[in-house]
Amino acid sequence: MILTIMVERVLRETVQVPYRDLVTRSTGAAVRTGIERAIAEGGCATTLLDFSEVGLLDFSCADEVVAKLLLRTQTEDDRYVVLSGLREEHFEAIDHVLNHHQIAVLAKVEAEAAPRALGRLAPELQDALAAAQQLETGDAESLADAIGWTVEHAADALQSLALLRLLCADQGHFRRIPLT
Amino acid sequence: MTRVVEVPASFDDKSFDQFAQSFASGDPAQRALFDARGAQWASPYGLVGMLTAGQVLKEQRRERPLFTVPSSDDVRRYWARTGFFRYAAEFFEIHGKVPRTKVEDDADYLLPVTPVRASEDVHAVVGAIQERAARMLTGELGLEAKATIGFAMALSEACQNIVEHAGTGGWVAVHAYTFRKRLGRRVVVIAVSDGGVGFSHSLESTQARRFGDRWGDAAALEAAVIQGVSRFRDPGRGQGLAGIKRYLTRWNGKLSIRSGTARIAIVPPWDDDVPMSEDLPFFPGSQLQVVIPAQTEIDG
Repeated sequence: MILTIMVERVLRETVQVPYRDLVTRSTGAAVRTGIERAIAEGGCATTLLDFSEVGLLDFSCADEVVAKLLLRTQTEDDRYVVLSGLREEHFEAIDHVLNHHQIAVLAKVEAEAAPRALGRLAPELQDALAAAQQLETGDAESLADAIGWTVEHAADALQSLALLRLLCADQGHFRRIPLT
Repeated sequence: MTRVVEVPASFDDKSFDQFAQSFASGDPAQRALFDARGAQWASPYGLVGMLTAGQVLKEQRRERPLFTVPSSDDVRRYWARTGFFRYAAEFFEIHGKVPRTKVEDDADYLLPVTPVRASEDVHAVVGAIQERAARMLTGELGLEAKATIGFAMALSEACQNIVEHAGTGGWVAVHAYTFRKRLGRRVVVIAVSDGGVGFSHSLESTQARRFGDRWGDAAALEAAVIQGVSRFRDPGRGQGLAGIKRYLTRWNGKLSIRSGTARIAIVPPWDDDVPMSEDLPFFPGSQLQVVIPAQTEIDG
């Protein structure tokens, strides 16, 4: 089950300003609280945060809404957050704050087959993620075969991707985060 | 007895120290008279600086200062159109004829003098400026369309510093004009000023020990602007100024922040400012200026 949250709607409901812009820390904190409440009530493993109706997103708000939400959900097993509806300038703000915290998130981009990773992800983890997304499911051995690494190397990469909540992992197996 | 605070004839970030010197001189218990009769021009930095001085005196419960308006009709009209007199009347006893001009749309300013006291004010500022900024930055300054978004983000972060750190309200204004002496090009200037606690006081509890004897206004500015530290222990803090710097690097812009007796600048190649100035005349709070120049083929 996937929970889709329209971020602009949360903004309107929580802050009650006549604007679509996600700016200021206090606004971001209020919106994040609203999102966390919706996630807790929804009980779904995957949450899709839809930014398509959001206007401007500044760095402070990106930090409050996205980075802090990810830092909190990282401590919960089987909770995944994926972003969608981002415009180029949203990418920049979110990428900047996630790099600062050394975390990453997947973002669905129209016309791209697999979701894109935003934030801090070493090049070899990007390669492993791309290969794992193409395989859709598998284990360290199948990933190692796919990209020509040792099984240990692939297993390390899978563990890192799972800790970053970019893949679902369970007892040595992985699968893409379900988005449909 | 009154003490006279001279308003520089051409009042911008360069002449601000002259204003600060005059403001800091004399017996603070004496009534102040801000003499703007000789003023020929003021940048947004000068306008918000004067309002900050007035606000500081009001918050210190000093006798309401006097303010003599510029002798020049044109200057008075311009200051009136920027919204300066509307707010100046809250802090000063104004002497001289103030034009009954509406604060109106004008090609030369993107945002009239606007108070910033709370998060809602930042929303209003950002909401109001985006369309006009797009026209100005892409049409007149030749920046790419995406520069507009970064501009609004930089403005938002600059205003938030007041809400988050100053401990009092402040002011913002955004104007466009030609930097004849320094650059010979059109620029857009964001000026944000508050009369609050300043960087040194704000960061003292978390940073002073680390700097030891060096601690002061300059060290505090260095910690915030160069090292990206914040008074909050939250590791996500300090990204606002980092975001502004990133934006300005891309568009060849300049950032300067004055607080207390020091001023730090991120200086682009077109300017000859110094990165750090110390032992300046004291002025309360913090004053931030962002300058974005028209792009040339050299800038790419």
